[in-house]
Amino acid sequence: MENIIRLDLFEKTDLLIAIGLIFGILIFATILFFVVGLLKPKANLHELKTRTKSWWIMASLFIGTTMFNSTISYFAIGMLSFIAFRELYSILGFRESDRRAIFWAFLAIPIQYYLAYIGWYGAYIIFIPIVMFLFVPLRLVLKGDTVGIVKSMSLLQWVLMLTVFGISHMAYLLSLPEIPGFANGGRGLLLFLVFLTEINDVMQFTWGKLLGKHKIIPKVSPNKTWEGFIGGLISTTCIGYFLGFLTPLSATQVLFVSFMIALSGFVGDIVMSSIKRDIGVKDTGTSIPGHGGVLDRIDSLSYTAPVFFHLVYYMAY
Amino acid sequence: MQKILLQFLYSVVIRNFLKVFVGVRMADARFLLKEKQFIIVANHNSHLDTLTLLASLPRKIILQVKPVAAQDHFGKTRFKEKLTRYFINALLIQRKRDKENIKNDPIYKMVDALDKGFSLIIFPEGTRGEPEVQQPIKPGIGYVLSQRPGVKYVPAFMKGMGKAMPKNDSLIVPYNSSLVYGDPAAVQSNDVMAIVKEVENALNQLRDKSS
Repeated sequence: MENIIRLDLFEKTDLLIAIGLIFGILIFATILFFVVGLLKPKANLHELKTRTKSWWIMASLFIGTTMFNSTISYFAIGMLSFIAFRELYSILGFRESDRRAIFWAFLAIPIQYYLAYIGWYGAYIIFIPIVMFLFVPLRLVLKGDTVGIVKSMSLLQWVLMLTVFGISHMAYLLSLPEIPGFANGGRGLLLFLVFLTEINDVMQFTWGKLLGKHKIIPKVSPNKTWEGFIGGLISTTCIGYFLGFLTPLSATQVLFVSFMIALSGFVGDIVMSSIKRDIGVKDTGTSIPGHGGVLDRIDSLSYTAPVFFHLVYYMAY
Repeated sequence: MQKILLQFLYSVVIRNFLKVFVGVRMADARFLLKEKQFIIVANHNSHLDTLTLLASLPRKIILQVKPVAAQDHFGKTRFKEKLTRYFINALLIQRKRDKENIKNDPIYKMVDALDKGFSLIIFPEGTRGEPEVQQPIKPGIGYVLSQRPGVKYVPAFMKGMGKAMPKNDSLIVPYNSSLVYGDPAAVQSNDVMAIVKEVENALNQLRDKSS
């Protein structure tokens, strides 16, 4: 039983506080939209309500799968990569002759997460940037269809980097060695990263809606404003500072890391927006009501996860 | 035995395989429970098409719906024929008409199955063809519907199946694909070619709506 459900979560006060905070915010948002809906029946809250409902499901799934059992966590984050990979490659228009190489790219997902699971850092960190980088073109060349092969080679590697390599840093956080005196371990770091990334998205959205006037990059994403960006940056850095107890970092380091999460989250967001603009779709999928596809939700994470991981790895390990 | 096995196979195993692994978004097909008998008319790009349609059906009626399949392909060997009949619950027909031996005539066989109370799945393009390319539809569906005008037809459109598993390739590569249903409709005329046109229009409308 101990192997299936790690009940030690209930002894980690720090983790419990953070989890309580997440559900506290969700309860607050749910009540807020309900009350506003009663006071102003004309206000269009449908999308906000759908989004909040989806947030409930996502938060419960995330906490349920990552906090109790470490083996299931790797599997769950691996599934996230799998769905994001499938979603992204499906809209990119690969050739029929790429199918074998794409199949191998799919196989890279369990391997990458297995390497994270056993904590073999050296192999984990080179597997996609080097092994797959060299192997995928070979598989494409063996097929022999050279018309458009450059596009397939670069696209496939890039999709792997974004949806598998980037996201798998979330999983490797759980494999980091223990630091004496730091009880929260990988779960604390993972919670910090995901909470801050998502709160940054929400903060940028909220500040943009409240004050947004000056468009920051209108050709890519007409809804992004300087006010939203800076408001998000400041709020995320402050919130990160108070959540610093989840990490083994010093106060200055936490401020810096939070700032970098806010910044890279924004970058991930607009990178995905520009891709969608190029292809001509609004969302990458329809699996999360109010949010679009899975990829629309984890676009920032594919940037913040590697940034956060390597900063922490450098500073604390 | 076949009933329990197939219900479990389609509504649990294959359904989840298609949804979670392959990435098929399936429309809700519970509206079919209201129809006593129907013919699902679908585009055809992949072997996954039949599985997807069957897996999308409400569990209760899976065994009442017979996919119509080509004898020359699925009946090649006795073994393959037995498997197809048992696991796909298929109605095997030959692609050419047979005026001499009426019992062997494809139209007769389909109408006969309808008279026995079965619903049908028909791929009127006749074959899977190139991935994601729709071919002109064959008149067989028109003959069947003109002989049994009381049976409603239900258009179904699948997108992306030919990418997940195209013709001439048995490897399934996950691909975000989808299945949508149109509204059940009764034929407007009893002329064979007019019915064919009608069905083709319904399929095209559904395709335009879903893309």
